[in-house]
Amino acid sequence: MDASTVLARWLLGAAFLHMGLSKALHPVDFLKLLRQYDIVQSSLLLNSMAAALPWFEVFCGLLLLLGIAVRGTALTLMVMLVPFTGLVLHRALLLQSALAIPFCAVKFDCGCGTGEEFICRKLLENFLLLLLSVWLLLGHGRQLSLRFNLLKSSPQ
Amino acid sequence: MLVAIFGAAFAFAANQISPLGLALTRDYFPSGTVHSVRPVAGLKVSQVPGTNFEALSPAQSLAAQMKERGLQLLDDRQAALLFHDPRFKQDIIVFIDARDEEHYQQGHVPGAYQFDPYHPEKYFNTVLPVCQKAEQIVVYCNGGDCDDSESAALLLRDVGISNQKLFVYGGGIAEWQTNSLPVEIGARNSGNLRNMNK
Repeated sequence: MDASTVLARWLLGAAFLHMGLSKALHPVDFLKLLRQYDIVQSSLLLNSMAAALPWFEVFCGLLLLLGIAVRGTALTLMVMLVPFTGLVLHRALLLQSALAIPFCAVKFDCGCGTGEEFICRKLLENFLLLLLSVWLLLGHGRQLSLRFNLLKSSPQ
Repeated sequence: MLVAIFGAAFAFAANQISPLGLALTRDYFPSGTVHSVRPVAGLKVSQVPGTNFEALSPAQSLAAQMKERGLQLLDDRQAALLFHDPRFKQDIIVFIDARDEEHYQQGHVPGAYQFDPYHPEKYFNTVLPVCQKAEQIVVYCNGGDCDDSESAALLLRDVGISNQKLFVYGGGIAEWQTNSLPVEIGARNSGNLRNMNK
């Protein structure tokens, strides 16, 4: 068994579980941060996003930790990570322009569940999460998963 | 696709069950203003392309916003005067802290009532009768980029408290503490005060 692929799945799962829970336990704080991106005008939509996204991340994190629907979850996370990273980058560029400071000196709470962070570090983190998602999407990380090991079903 | 469907179902169910869950249909931001880029403490943002901070300092922007909403803005000197006014002890002048429980417990204006605008139902029973009797109500939050005081004032206005009585202290607790004014720790009237320099 390739331990590194299992570790990669667990790492990605734990990261999303942690980020999701930290937001789910402070939903109002997340709502305020999400509002700053000004992506939706409707309060119903904004509330729905702030209410659902953290728990959705928790759900995905749990699936990865347990090894259920690994590729589908990895694809879902990629679909989430790409636009959110774009939004974070856009906001960082606005802040950089407003404050006239070097790009990597921009520090803010992006609402990602990791608190205030320097933008370059945040982008690197997201890039690594994205890489792990791609890795799992390619079919790695099935060892010690519920479907292929614990329930003894063979991969297609 | 299945992950997305089951995930969404799980997420909304969890939000519904969680005691901290958000009410989807509530307007949590009655002030309606969105600050795309908020000023960072200690740095001036005088012109931010594509945001509502263009050509206005944060203080000017806040004052204009208050005026637009029919609310009155207080500065630190006025807030301190009201705090030291003998009518404050009789609840004729009332301070309202619009922050959450955690921040309120960490330190608030002595004698201030808590009114978290994100959970107003928890506080209406206590705060409404007080506000109805009061002649001047000072609402504050963290200060700086925080607009929860404005949201709280608008909520109070919406339940019948006159605009004329509502004042927003823009500098908030941060400015209050910077000015070394007393802060009460824990519950209201706990008597646990600090920063009694003035």
